Amino acid sequence: MIWTRKVLTPSLIVIVGFLTVCPVAMLLLGSFSEGLGAFGTFTLDKYIKSYTDPALIEIIVNTIVFIIGSALVATALALFMAYLNTRTNIPFKVLFEIISIVPMMIPHILFAVSWAILLNPSNGLINLLLKQILNLQNSPFNIYSLPGMILVEGLLDLPVSYLIIAPAMSSFDVSLEESSKVCGSSNLRTLFKITLPVLRPAILASITLVAIRSLESFAVPSALGMPGRIYLLSTHIYRIIATGFAADYGMAAAVGMSALVASITLIILYRHLTSESDKYVTISSRGYRPALIDLHGAKVPLFTIVAFLSFILIVLPVLVLLYTSFIPYSMVPSLKAFGMMSWKHWLAVLKDPISLLSLKNSLFLGIAGATLGVLLTLFVSYTIVKLRTTASGILESLSFLSFSFPGIVIGVGFMWFFVRTPLYATIGSLLIGYIATYLPYGIRPLTSAFVQIHRDLEESSRVCGGGMLYTLRRIIVPLLIPGIVSAWILMATMFVRELSVSVVLSRPGNEVLAVQILRFAEDGLLGKLSALGILMIVVSTTLVVLASAAGAKLTKLQKEG
Amino acid sequence: MEIRIKDLNKNYFSEGKTITALSNVNLTMPANKIFTLLGPSGCGKTTLLRCIVGLEIPDSGEIDIGDEIVWSKDRGILVPPERRGLSMVFQTYAIWPHMNVFDNVAYPLQVRNEPKEEIREKVEKTLRFVQLEGFENRPATKLSGGQQQRVALARALAPEPKVILFDEPLSNLDAKLREETRKELRSFLTNLKITAVYVTHDRIEALSLSDTIAVMKTGRIMEIGTPKEIYFGSGQQFVIDFVGRTNLIEGKVVNIENDGPLISTAMGIIACQTKIAPPVGSIVMVSIRPEFIKLVERDCEKKRNLFQGRVESLVFIGEAYEGEIKVGETRLITKIPATSHIKEGDEINLCIDPDSCTVLLR
Repeated sequence: MIWTRKVLTPSLIVIVGFLTVCPVAMLLLGSFSEGLGAFGTFTLDKYIKSYTDPALIEIIVNTIVFIIGSALVATALALFMAYLNTRTNIPFKVLFEIISIVPMMIPHILFAVSWAILLNPSNGLINLLLKQILNLQNSPFNIYSLPGMILVEGLLDLPVSYLIIAPAMSSFDVSLEESSKVCGSSNLRTLFKITLPVLRPAILASITLVAIRSLESFAVPSALGMPGRIYLLSTHIYRIIATGFAADYGMAAAVGMSALVASITLIILYRHLTSESDKYVTISSRGYRPALIDLHGAKVPLFTIVAFLSFILIVLPVLVLLYTSFIPYSMVPSLKAFGMMSWKHWLAVLKDPISLLSLKNSLFLGIAGATLGVLLTLFVSYTIVKLRTTASGILESLSFLSFSFPGIVIGVGFMWFFVRTPLYATIGSLLIGYIATYLPYGIRPLTSAFVQIHRDLEESSRVCGGGMLYTLRRIIVPLLIPGIVSAWILMATMFVRELSVSVVLSRPGNEVLAVQILRFAEDGLLGKLSALGILMIVVSTTLVVLASAAGAKLTKLQKEG
Repeated sequence: MEIRIKDLNKNYFSEGKTITALSNVNLTMPANKIFTLLGPSGCGKTTLLRCIVGLEIPDSGEIDIGDEIVWSKDRGILVPPERRGLSMVFQTYAIWPHMNVFDNVAYPLQVRNEPKEEIREKVEKTLRFVQLEGFENRPATKLSGGQQQRVALARALAPEPKVILFDEPLSNLDAKLREETRKELRSFLTNLKITAVYVTHDRIEALSLSDTIAVMKTGRIMEIGTPKEIYFGSGQQFVIDFVGRTNLIEGKVVNIENDGPLISTAMGIIACQTKIAPPVGSIVMVSIRPEFIKLVERDCEKKRNLFQGRVESLVFIGEAYEGEIKVGETRLITKIPATSHIKEGDEINLCIDPDSCTVLLR
């Protein structure tokens, strides 16, 4: 106990405090400074310069439309899917499990790019196809537009929204609905008059969370917005630091402050809503499943919609990338196209030193970053759940707030810090930036793992004659392994595909996969991009499979004692 | 094995306040009997149990189990829980969710490094004993509440301990199952010749299961006795009130007769047959349990304690009526046989046997 009080908690507060407070403090400091090299005297110049920019109004309007739009798209789709899955007799329910997990493994930048390949106005595959078939002069679709971006971001955030709405929907006390039906309401009327209003907190929570994620989002705004000259806050910051002759980190910090304030406001709103929803949604403990609503004739059309959604969420991006990696230039699949397929792009990528370096770096960051991150979050979660001191409250709030920090803003904040240290432009700077930004993703699964280990489970082992170490080995560690494995997988896959922190912190010498893919996209090298993208998917899938296998093996070993 | 507890004290500190969990507890729990700690929540019964098992360290005192001192402040002895050789059934059952039924039950044997074959035999035997044979490979968390409770019991019994401790083991079961399990537990424990310490706040559980009951309140032992002694013979208002329903009537001692005091109350003079002899003129409480207030036609058998009253309310509760009878201004709760023909508003005669009247000194 003395060890935990004197050493563990203070050092955790120092580490987590540094990771979360440092970038924010540096960002604030930087926004009032003259330049990245030297802070200089206190100045409001950067604020004046960035907030008097006439283009900023349009950027803010775009951002608001984008985040609200994608929040509504994702939540509406999630509601539709969750209702079908939990409340109706739609077939192949396993599909819903897949939809809620698998898309998280496809890097956002690749998903966005694959839509650009399909629907860009100059040579998008679907546009080309429609022009051929319908003899059109112009492309019917343009993904480089706000509606296009909203649609793609909405699809990307569908799993997140689904994971909030589906549990609320299935823990819903059905007697609320049954009494409405007894009063003579139809299914549809009950849905709109009872079900949706009672689910309101969950729906609002989902809208807020998706809004936070799309505010943070960099992949879609950069891959789909920038080609169409539609800038959002995140891409605006990127434009300030990465394009043009003079990167202005002070201005980036000044703009970043408003993104930060917006996201912190949203996360506080989100916490408020989720604590509300705990009170609101009545969880029935009667443990019987409600009678499923028979869809009759609507079964087939509704299922077709779900199947189509899963197809475009999971299969299509991979197929598009695979196809594009083999063809010399964009063309509609045809005999001719298949005849021209070659390994050209693959060979080019495998010979490209920067692509190889980025592959190596991302793999290292995935493995080392996730391992360090899990180690840190293991102690943080232990402190939060088991020690329950004032310090654990601080840790929880810190990690919770940092959940909302947009990656690119954190990147700019860290930039102000790293430039003063030898870490600048090293892989170490990325490692620290990643762990700082994604700490909450590790804390979530691990705190719930610790919560699961009730004090009685440890104590009964001791009464049975198991000493401290024996109890640790046979009870505590095995119960933690699933949490550790899922935290590791979550962090590793996030790190392998990380884009928004990396676009700021990645310099020549510490390139990473997602940034390299963005470069290919900017240069229009779709073939190379697709080949590298497939490699990226292979890397993260391999990590997931290996980690799950290791977890299963460990659990088995522990059980056999 | 006998458990002796000497001068045990335990305080908690929380938000600057000191909470007394155990205050000068002295107890001897006889070998091979069922000993129950009964009391309301927060009375220290669970703390006492956790001190015996070693999960909680007292501030001062001594605990002996059999011939061994497992805790002594003065001699500086502290045997950790894993070396006390006890078994315990937790309120939450504490079934390990990552293990199946077999592994849960085998755990205490595996800890002792017993040979695999022996473990298998013992687990099989224990599971048969708690009527869970064939459940070995089930994941333990997939069982029903009653079955989980048996797994917890089997795990506690498997190492054949001399002492087994129960921390409100039935409180998570539904009413019917609780009753069945209580009876089973009673027969298990009697057959096994084992010292059992049982913690509960449920008076029926305590009365029906125990050989000895210790009633606790705010960290103190209030009274120790057999279930009957506690129910009928207690001289303390708290104990009487806690172990069953009762009517408490205030009165003044007006005379002492051969077999006990006469007490003047608002409903008249009550004659009590008791060894307690309060001085004449002192104010006392008379406790009368509802089941001992009898309706009579004319007079009492013993010609004592006859009262006239009016039936205020009558509620049918299945096995009997629960009646409220007004004698003067005093309201008495009674149990009236279900076959009785009285109605609300009836004027009736009632009779209270003097030896069912307990006198409580103030």
